[in-house]
Amino acid sequence: MTDARTIRFTLNGAPVSVSVMPHETLIEMLSLRLELKGARESCGQGLCGCCTVYVNGKSVSSCLYLAQLVDGANVVTIEGINDGARLDPVQEAFIEVGAFQCGFCTPGFIMMARELLDVHPNPTDDEIRHYLIGNLCRCSAYPEIVEAVKLAARRRAAGTAPALAQELSA
Amino acid sequence: MDALTVPNGKKGIGGSILRNEDERLLSGRSTFIADISQPGMWEIAFLRSPVAHANILSVTKPEGFEQRVFLLSDLGDIRPIQADSQAKGFRRSDYPALANDRVRFVGEPIAICLGRTRAEAEDLAQAVFVEFEELPAVSDLSQCRDPAYPPIHPGWNDNLFLETHIDVGDVDAARAKAAVSLTRQYRMNRQAIVSLEGRGVMSYIDERTGELVVYSSTQFPHVIRTALAHCLNMQERELRVVAPEVGGSFGVKNNLNPEEIAIAALTKKIRKPIRWVEDRREHLIAAPHAREHRYEVTVHADKDGLILGLEASIDVDAGAYSVWPWTSPMESGMAIGFLPGTYTISNYRATARTCASNKSPMGPYRGVGRPGACFAIERTIEELAVHLGLDPVEVRLRNYVRPDQFPWKSAGGKTYDNGNYAESAIAARDLIKPERLTELRQRYADSDYLIGLGYATYLEQTAHGTAEWVQRGLPVVFGYEQAALQMTPDGMLIIDVPIQNHGQGLETTLAQVANEELGIDPAQVVVRHGDTSMAPYGMGTFASRSMVMSGGAVGCASALLADKLRKIGAHLLQVQDSDVRLEDGFVVANASGGAKISLKEIAVAAFLRPERLPDDVDPGLSVVASYRTSRDTGAWSYGTHAAIVAVDRGTGMVHILDYVIAHDCGTIVNPMIVDGQMMGGLAQGIGTALYEEMPYSAEGQPLASTFMDYLVPGASEMPHTTIEHLCSPSPITRYGIKGMGEGGAIPPPASLCNAVNDAIRSLGASINETPMTPDRVLRALLDAQAGSATA
Repeated sequence: MTDARTIRFTLNGAPVSVSVMPHETLIEMLSLRLELKGARESCGQGLCGCCTVYVNGKSVSSCLYLAQLVDGANVVTIEGINDGARLDPVQEAFIEVGAFQCGFCTPGFIMMARELLDVHPNPTDDEIRHYLIGNLCRCSAYPEIVEAVKLAARRRAAGTAPALAQELSA
Repeated sequence: MDALTVPNGKKGIGGSILRNEDERLLSGRSTFIADISQPGMWEIAFLRSPVAHANILSVTKPEGFEQRVFLLSDLGDIRPIQADSQAKGFRRSDYPALANDRVRFVGEPIAICLGRTRAEAEDLAQAVFVEFEELPAVSDLSQCRDPAYPPIHPGWNDNLFLETHIDVGDVDAARAKAAVSLTRQYRMNRQAIVSLEGRGVMSYIDERTGELVVYSSTQFPHVIRTALAHCLNMQERELRVVAPEVGGSFGVKNNLNPEEIAIAALTKKIRKPIRWVEDRREHLIAAPHAREHRYEVTVHADKDGLILGLEASIDVDAGAYSVWPWTSPMESGMAIGFLPGTYTISNYRATARTCASNKSPMGPYRGVGRPGACFAIERTIEELAVHLGLDPVEVRLRNYVRPDQFPWKSAGGKTYDNGNYAESAIAARDLIKPERLTELRQRYADSDYLIGLGYATYLEQTAHGTAEWVQRGLPVVFGYEQAALQMTPDGMLIIDVPIQNHGQGLETTLAQVANEELGIDPAQVVVRHGDTSMAPYGMGTFASRSMVMSGGAVGCASALLADKLRKIGAHLLQVQDSDVRLEDGFVVANASGGAKISLKEIAVAAFLRPERLPDDVDPGLSVVASYRTSRDTGAWSYGTHAAIVAVDRGTGMVHILDYVIAHDCGTIVNPMIVDGQMMGGLAQGIGTALYEEMPYSAEGQPLASTFMDYLVPGASEMPHTTIEHLCSPSPITRYGIKGMGEGGAIPPPASLCNAVNDAIRSLGASINETPMTPDRVLRALLDAQAGSATA
């Protein structure tokens, strides 16, 4: 087996360096070496979306992405999408609409929904369903998820975020 | 902070308040089994059988790694899983924690391999050498009593777990009197259950308490503790079982798993922390499966569609072993008991066979038996209506149990509490608007789309009580639930419950029940669950029981606590006990402009300043209460689904154009959560109807082991859906609540199959099997074409 190699990259805004094996996937490095648990492995084949993270601003299935490939890159996980003081508008919308049940897949949906809204600020229902086709929710909160994405889109467009975040962190 | 509410402002029963558990779940901070570790922990990979049926002649551990590979003989004196039904004639299967001399399904665990990482453990598993002597695999229900297939368990003479019979009334007289007797055959194929988080176990020894601590992604930690104590020859006090955050379950985590026993036994032996996190392939092939029913149903009716009698033969493939605590005949028992459905059928004769095979064992999955039974009876009703040239809703209306007939003792041996089935059917018909069909068919006349409409009415027995579980002959009778309440000195409430919350929102809805009794804001209530060290004994979350049973227990405990709070409050306000009420976090004197005192001040008196208490009140604010329903035959939710579909005759694809649900689950605690449960169930029912199947080869190899070949519904598969809530509060439960977690999943196979048949009937085609894949629909169309060509 080839030896470990040290890689340096930006993780949720902070520089990190990690020694990883060549076979290690990004999800393994994030969850086992860096203790970031929000991206989760469910299918291990890039078919469910539970492990979605951003690499250089683009969503990837971290179960299919070799850890060494993020050397020098900018990686953002669900833990890094808000400043800790308030939730992202997409997260707030998911709570208000009731867009999840057990919560296992939810971080992946949040990541994809944010990216969708960056690309399509005012998506139709079909565009939302199509964009989220790679994310599975077995609790099947799909109708509520579509509603939550639309609510978040309206909030983004209006430049308003509700008082919910402050209340939740109070 | 106040609990967040929708505009109606209700925080107790009936309020759509936002969930207390949400923020941690969507921020990635929650702790599922893969997030929990211990210092020095080893990861596990199971060596699993690659063959369906074989004798194990030898197992050779890789040289130099003998201390990291463990077989059954290495685990000490442990008992196999023996899920024995009390039913007469039941044949036992011993389900070992690790296969010893024989393997009986692909995926059955043979050895535990330890590694510093999962990858290392898997490499080790690959290096173990097993010599198998292969045996014929029972891979189809038709082989169950075929002498060409030797029994898979010792002492059996064929591959039948159990055959049961029902013979009620006089079916022969019904047949003689009938204007029409129709016979149809139906198949609901095998499914995986699929939670996005697989199963998993992490265990270690707590050196301070001496406990063997077992974290398991399970629905019922206390019951698992009891079972592990039995299998490991331990006392229950030596074990602590914790269910952490559970990432979906739907029944698949509601069994005692051989993996749980093996891991607990190994931890006890090596005294090192170990963890197993199931991967997707393991989950699909080796976790318990569901469904796989076959029916032959004969209905006898008069010329107006009034059912005079019903006959049925039911076969269920229960897989290789009887799962604990449900036992292998659970599916067939539910199917035979529920086949008469919502109808006044008093002449009923049926046989149900539970067959063994070399497939993964069958466990409970959302709906348990009822999706199959509903499919069979609701298809039959629709066929009867078509045969007689009658409207299918009208035929149902002629046969439903009427509101004045409750409690209704069904021919299947169940007692229905109340409801108005006709009202649900009429509501569904009004919502789906059947008059649209003509226009839709005209619009698509020149296309490949065939339009059809189908209905299905379902029953969902929930919160089964003692009598039901005793009747089913289970080793554990789940007839009650407990709750422990303690107020803290600062006036907050902690509720410890033995049920488990894996997405049902119970941390919120149980707080709403406490609000109902105590007037305390749900945001001031913490609900803790899933830990045998925190909560009193209880049964867990399954069978749509927790809102009724645990809600009842929390209600009872809250009422006791309310008495004490009122008594202390009245004393401090210097008024009579009977002259105060609990409201919005205060004890308030009833007199106009009455004084009030906060729960916090009362809690301070109860815990920190006992000199302020009345003489006859003891310090402290803690209560444990248990609850069972006033009758123990279950609270019965029901409803009618209706679907309009377009069947593409070119591709065989079924598109759902519109879907409606009119249902009754009694008193609704949180409408937002009820809607979510209903839609989630519907999606899984659509999966059963159209997409999900776990096929096996003739050699007993499972043919779906990834999400590429096991298709679960995604966002695009969910149709436009309208839900209407009816409300007949249950007469037998506290607050009139009925469970409703499974109902959404029960009728979609029937409603959609009825709609598809309505669409393809004009071509002389029919389909009576799920999932209705494009391939099966095309075959049905081609068969009809071939039939008419030869006719």
